[in-house]
Amino acid sequence: MKLRLNKTVAAAASSALLLMAVPAIGLASQSGAAAKPTYVIGYEGPLSGGNQQLGLNMVFAVQLAINQANASGKLPFKLRIATYDDQGDPTISPTQAQAAVANKKLVAIVGPAFSGATAAAEPYYHKAHIATVSPSATRVSLASSGWNNFFRVVADDGVQGPADANYIVKKKGIKSVYVVNDGTAYGAGLASAFATTASADGATVTPATVPGTSQCQNGTASATQYTAAATQVVASGAKAMFYGGYYCDLGLFLGALASAGYTGTVMSGDGSLSPALIQGTTPASAANGVLLTCACASSTNPKFNKAYQGLAHFSAANATYAPESYDATNAIINAMKHLKKITRAGIVAELHKLTFKGMTKIVKFQKDGNIAGSAIFVNQVKNGKIVQLGLE
Amino acid sequence: MRAFLRRPIVRRFFMIGAAMAALEVMTGPPGSTEAPTAGFAGSFTQPSPFFGLFSTVRWVVFLFLAVVIWAIVTLWSIQGAAIKRSVTTVTAVPRAATQRKSVRRGLGVVLLIVALILPHVITDPFWQAAMVEQIAVYVLLAMGLNVVVGFAGLLDLGFVAFYAIGAYTTAWVTGALPTPPLFGVDLNPFFAIPIAIAIAMLSGVLLGAPTLRLRGDYLAIVTLGFGEIITIFANNLYGITGGSQGTGVIPHPSIDLGPLHYVWGLTPVPYYYLTIVFVVIFLIAFSLLEHSRVGRAWTAIREDEVAAESVGINPLKYKVMAFAIGASTAGFAGVVTASQSNNIFPSSFTLFFSINILVLVIFGGMGSIAGVVLGAVLIQTVSMYLLHSPPAGYQSADLYIYLGALLILMMIFRPVGVLPSRRRKREIGLAESGEGHMDEVLTGDTP
Amino acid sequence: MGAFGHYLASHFTTLQKEFWYLLVGGVANGFLYGMVAVGYTLVYGVLRLINFAHSEIFMSGGFAGYFLMKALVGTTVPSGLSSIGLIGLGIVAGGLVGALVATALERVAYRPLRKRNAPKLAYLISAIGASYFMFNLAGKEFGRYSVSVPQPYINHAVFHVFGAPVLMYDIIIFVSGLIMLFALDRIVATTKLGRSVRAVAQDAETASLMGVNIDRTIALTFVIGGALGGAAGFLFGLGTGVVYTMGFTPALKAFTAAVLGGIGNLRGAMIGGLLLGIVESLSVVFVQAAYIDVVAFGILVAVLLFRPTGILGERLGRAA
Repeated sequence: MKLRLNKTVAAAASSALLLMAVPAIGLASQSGAAAKPTYVIGYEGPLSGGNQQLGLNMVFAVQLAINQANASGKLPFKLRIATYDDQGDPTISPTQAQAAVANKKLVAIVGPAFSGATAAAEPYYHKAHIATVSPSATRVSLASSGWNNFFRVVADDGVQGPADANYIVKKKGIKSVYVVNDGTAYGAGLASAFATTASADGATVTPATVPGTSQCQNGTASATQYTAAATQVVASGAKAMFYGGYYCDLGLFLGALASAGYTGTVMSGDGSLSPALIQGTTPASAANGVLLTCACASSTNPKFNKAYQGLAHFSAANATYAPESYDATNAIINAMKHLKKITRAGIVAELHKLTFKGMTKIVKFQKDGNIAGSAIFVNQVKNGKIVQLGLE
Repeated sequence: MRAFLRRPIVRRFFMIGAAMAALEVMTGPPGSTEAPTAGFAGSFTQPSPFFGLFSTVRWVVFLFLAVVIWAIVTLWSIQGAAIKRSVTTVTAVPRAATQRKSVRRGLGVVLLIVALILPHVITDPFWQAAMVEQIAVYVLLAMGLNVVVGFAGLLDLGFVAFYAIGAYTTAWVTGALPTPPLFGVDLNPFFAIPIAIAIAMLSGVLLGAPTLRLRGDYLAIVTLGFGEIITIFANNLYGITGGSQGTGVIPHPSIDLGPLHYVWGLTPVPYYYLTIVFVVIFLIAFSLLEHSRVGRAWTAIREDEVAAESVGINPLKYKVMAFAIGASTAGFAGVVTASQSNNIFPSSFTLFFSINILVLVIFGGMGSIAGVVLGAVLIQTVSMYLLHSPPAGYQSADLYIYLGALLILMMIFRPVGVLPSRRRKREIGLAESGEGHMDEVLTGDTP
Repeated sequence: MGAFGHYLASHFTTLQKEFWYLLVGGVANGFLYGMVAVGYTLVYGVLRLINFAHSEIFMSGGFAGYFLMKALVGTTVPSGLSSIGLIGLGIVAGGLVGALVATALERVAYRPLRKRNAPKLAYLISAIGASYFMFNLAGKEFGRYSVSVPQPYINHAVFHVFGAPVLMYDIIIFVSGLIMLFALDRIVATTKLGRSVRAVAQDAETASLMGVNIDRTIALTFVIGGALGGAAGFLFGLGTGVVYTMGFTPALKAFTAAVLGGIGNLRGAMIGGLLLGIVESLSVVFVQAAYIDVVAFGILVAVLLFRPTGILGERLGRAA
């Protein structure tokens, strides 16, 4: 998926990123004496621009997994990270992918982070037999494009959308749903998956496109459109609204829905799972009660949280996709451990056979690279905070 | 005190100081909504080495720079004429030489040879990919926009629309859209070239014919709207364009002529050569065009539309022609991008993109083909360098701060661009001295 | 035809049901568009150029209001007089910062060109540059994420029009919009400053011969337009939050409104704003929200082609 996340201390984080690169290189040169070979695990994702925070969330988790593996002393090799900043942009990711392919020591990639960027970059990785394990690219079609090197540790939109629909229609017993998509690749895909299942479950579905706004940089629509859009939701009489899109636009929408007097349930996906949703909602109380689902789990592992905070200087609790990035990196490291001779193609083959217990789930890939099992977690905004309710 | 402050030498110091302060903030650390002053404050107070000599804080460095620049500018204003004279004497011979046709051609051939061997010198795959996707394609686009803005003097802010049309036509012809391909079969992208050019040109005519009657600033807004509308349609017509999910896989071009068989693939260098071939073709075509009857008609319209009309030039016809030629160039660039990347997304075709191309044209020099090529290569290389190895504290979105500042500075200090066309330079000079009517047609001062 | 008739009939039923809701929202948006549109119109009147950077004046007013509200509005939502006072302060802050930014803009991006008698294309490009510079710098300094402005009032329905609630926020916009637009109308029509603005708009050369200080008049025009734009930015931010890109779309719509009413014509800009706000809001019934912008641009192109002088004609110079 593609997600715009919350600011936090981007400045501090960036400088921390710079600092951590130094000891990593230092370690690598010292280890030369021990004659251990050094391999590089790459990360491709947005490390600058509007989606920078999401990339930072991930890259620190990758670095943490690598540091811990190096420190364990059990590896017959040393690992190093290399980062490729694609800004989440499909026009830039091929350029960065080619740079990654050319890095002779690079054996595998964590990422790419965004679906569009993945679709654009994957042919290059595929040609070079480089395994890519994405912590966050959830577009359904990525797994069916014939790239045997593509893996992901999250369930795709085709799992999340239907699971969300079942939750609303079957579990909550709501029979009329207004399904909004924001016209972005992510939002439209998720909303249509939701709508199909909700109809099949017997609910009345009213689909609508309410495009992303220039205010939120998800489109060019005017933020004033939500007054009219909210009126339409209320007029439809739907008892629930599902929003396929990102937190920023949802925040604007929630404010308008509250003004229009909408009292139904509102649900949205991982694109809206961010504390910034509450910050961007006017008034903030309008966000209370909103259900937010994600194939990602918020980190409840105190050991991971502590180590992560030490490295990143921001809390892992709100760092969406950090746990998944940690698992993705460890999947690659585990595959490398099983190999006598480490090659790019060897890692691809090994990942197809791999089973290990990750932090968020048992990591085992299906033939098409999708993760086996489909855990979707549901969260709710309560008193201005996002609380994980549990499995959907 | 007041009189002292009003002295040019003092005023100049404050102006340069303010500019340096702005630069300090631009290059300084970012702030956030929680700490809105952190960026500003940090820009002045963060520690910084003083040219590697000793460590100090940022404002000291920038103050020093301001004083140095102020001293240079002041010296220039006193001794400038003399320096200029000596510089002119020294550069007179090479300057005269570059105006000779044979020398210009020779220079062109040398540059072409450099361009051809470049991929063998620069083997870094990042740069090889960037040379095609981010530089050569932008050179094409800048050359196309130059016909519209530079030759005909029309401000087009929706240039990206034609680029999108070219790219989507390629996807259509090659069968990568949900709609059945144009001829029922999936064609090689090479066949998309004439079709995309034709469709882009047609849409240029369709947009231009009614709107080019409008005065320039209205035209700018209407074209901007057109650019947005094309993106909105591409994004929402799921059954036709694939919507926001993007197109299907667009095949790579290939040649299959008896013994000659070649398939372009994922490696950028073959694309680079393919693009260079077309850049050269467009370059030659545009320079011929510039000195043709059409080019002279554009100049006449640009300089004085009423006078041009009175000698029998139909301004609308020539404006539409410029629009169509610019559009078809962008359409062709769209073919290159589409066939080179695997699939295309509506989100790639934004207003930012149009403005970016405009910056290349303005920087290089409106109306100067050599200028816009140089402008495109320089600016794109710098922005790619910033992406490849960003300096500390630089975020990719900051690029637009610099480009914006560059536009203002160019307009204040060098509106003709770094490598101006002689004609354009003369026109702007004339307009500023109150003769001629350059660009007044653009705003409708003439009735 | 039958199918189309059915389409219209079913949509008119929806329109009947939702008309008043949509109208209230449309009028509120229309006032905002109008306030921004007068900024375009004033500058156009005296300089004959579209101030492409007006969107960033709007944005700066929004941020000024945001920081002020964040500092002043505590955890309890104020009510009554303190609400009115805070909103007044916010408008003043937004207006002041808007005027300041507009002045800086005129000084840096326009005046040097004017002194050189530069071609108009140069102004447009310089304005685009200024706009890009300002909003991206704001993104760098204030973050690139939309944040909501603490509201100094409770946004409840104050009264109903045919069942459609009119919210506190709508009332704030109606009242402050009316006051500001009326004041502006009077200033331009009756004061000495207004006279010189009109004189410059009509014929700058003659005006300067008659003793009107052109530099000062142009600067003051930017101040007035900037103040209204900044205040509108604050009011907009109050409802939808502030972010560095917030100016782009509203300003584009406001420009459309200015052209619709006849650019250079103050009352035309206000009426154009209202009209555009209402049409946009009601068009939701007939087209997908994704195509609202297409409707707005369609209107713009149609007006430019068939009646380029707008509804009321271009006439800042002749009368206000």
